[in-house]
Amino acid sequence: MIEINGKPYTGQEQIKSDLLTLNMGPQHPATHGVLRVEIKTDSEIIAQATPYLGYLHRCFEKHVENIDYRGVIPFVDRMDYLASMSMELGYCLTVEKMLGTEIPKRAQYLRTIIAELQRIASHLMFFGTYAIDLGAFSPFLYAFQDREDILRLFEELSGARLLYNYIWLGGVWNDINDDQLRRIEAFCDKMEENLKKYHALVGENKIFISRTANVGVIPVDMAYQYGATGPVLRGSGVNWDLRKTRPYGMYEELDFDVIVGEGLKGQVGDTWDRYYVRMMEMHESIKILRQCLDGIEEGSIMGKVPKVLKVPEGEIYMRTECPRGELGYHLISDGGKTPYRLKVKSSCFTHTSMLPEMAPGMMIADFVAAIGSIDIVLGEVDR
Amino acid sequence: MHKEFADFINSKVSGANATVVEAEVGDSTVFVEASSILATCEALKDSDFEMNVLQCVTGTDYSDRIEVSYILASFTKNSELILKVKLPKTSSDATVKVDSVCSVWKSANFLERETYDMLGVEFVGHPDHRRILCPEDWEGYPLRKDYKVQEVYNDMVVDPPAKINNGDINFFKEIMDKMGDEKKVAYSWKKEDAGSSDTAQ
Repeated sequence: MIEINGKPYTGQEQIKSDLLTLNMGPQHPATHGVLRVEIKTDSEIIAQATPYLGYLHRCFEKHVENIDYRGVIPFVDRMDYLASMSMELGYCLTVEKMLGTEIPKRAQYLRTIIAELQRIASHLMFFGTYAIDLGAFSPFLYAFQDREDILRLFEELSGARLLYNYIWLGGVWNDINDDQLRRIEAFCDKMEENLKKYHALVGENKIFISRTANVGVIPVDMAYQYGATGPVLRGSGVNWDLRKTRPYGMYEELDFDVIVGEGLKGQVGDTWDRYYVRMMEMHESIKILRQCLDGIEEGSIMGKVPKVLKVPEGEIYMRTECPRGELGYHLISDGGKTPYRLKVKSSCFTHTSMLPEMAPGMMIADFVAAIGSIDIVLGEVDR
Repeated sequence: MHKEFADFINSKVSGANATVVEAEVGDSTVFVEASSILATCEALKDSDFEMNVLQCVTGTDYSDRIEVSYILASFTKNSELILKVKLPKTSSDATVKVDSVCSVWKSANFLERETYDMLGVEFVGHPDHRRILCPEDWEGYPLRKDYKVQEVYNDMVVDPPAKINNGDINFFKEIMDKMGDEKKVAYSWKKEDAGSSDTAQ
């Protein structure tokens, strides 16, 4: 935080007589997509920041009102394209809860394995791009090397590398074989070593710490006020993980810890804490993966779902823990073949609304670090 | 659980008229009067229920009304509540009005802007009431059921015929015209094999 005459800068007092308006984006590399932030700078300090969204708006919620329930799955893939499996899982759980479908054990284990692998892939993407935002190039290459292993496995399972359409209503589309399970086990061993290396390389790096510690602090009150979830909320020191507090799928039977930010390098809730939460969460994902690999059993991968799907009249709001935060589906059905209304509560959207409050008093370079640390994907923000 | 919420709202806010809609499948909801939404939200936030997070503001268009849903959650008590208000609709273009809850939760800022943009619900007392996903000068509210896309936007033709791929549409239309009945398209060759008898599978 910048101080002027011993007081923190709030954006009200002016150093220069007039403010300079600067457009960050829509093609700014540090915004991870097409986000435009109009910032008013007072010399080098940001006085005001206004995000402009909608460059990727496809109005997916209107589309799905004309598509049957199975056909919606490829659409939800395209929201958070870095964690498509998590998007599918949330949607399928929502509709299955309305239908009351029983999911076979093997399919449930497979879904958990896939979701956790996706979480690792997504957090690796964060790790790589965040380092690039702060000027370090090589971690990006390391991260993509490991992410490639996961994408290759997903490609074998589903036939696609980014937009999978793999998790279906009632189960999953394709079975996994023993060789692939062994490869996941080998990947876990390799990843555990690598993660320690990466954290030593980036997280404990002196330059990285001085760029991130005490920057973009989100106190607990502010996190609640803005409805922050996921790693952003946990980075502020709140012990809240839907996999623990409102378990769905297999998570009730699995043993893992919730990582919260402790302010190891600065204040609680700074950007370093959010980085730390994500890095340590990957270790927990590996823990979950190992338990699933032990527990997975023979059996069917598809539950009984009627051929013509009609969801009973009513409404439901279901949340799942995605890599970037909580994803909520609010489904209203009128008993027909298509959803009457499907609203997606995106965590990235609510996190973006924090930017105007975070920005005043920051240097422009710190603002880049702050945007990177809340890890937004614009496909999910704009939908 | 929802009964407790409704009783609490009725006791704290006069004229809220909270009613529970019990659902057999899915989630139950609590309806309150539109005029008392701000007072209800304030009361719920400071009460023992500790509704400290506003998860979502969204709306649904029915032919005669728009229902705005406020999904509240408590991260300390681990609970969830869908609060709804009914806003009668006068015409397809006109906006409907309800009080903003931005003063209670700051997350309402973007969420209400999105609801305004998509459904034309005007939030009275919102600090920054603009469209958020569509351009500023866009006409109409896309998620209303009777929405029609404007034909020209900024001298550009929206959905020009030249850009729509009519190949597939025409192909299927042609097949339908030839075959007549939609069900006859699949497996129609089997019937010919069996000597055009209706009982053969």
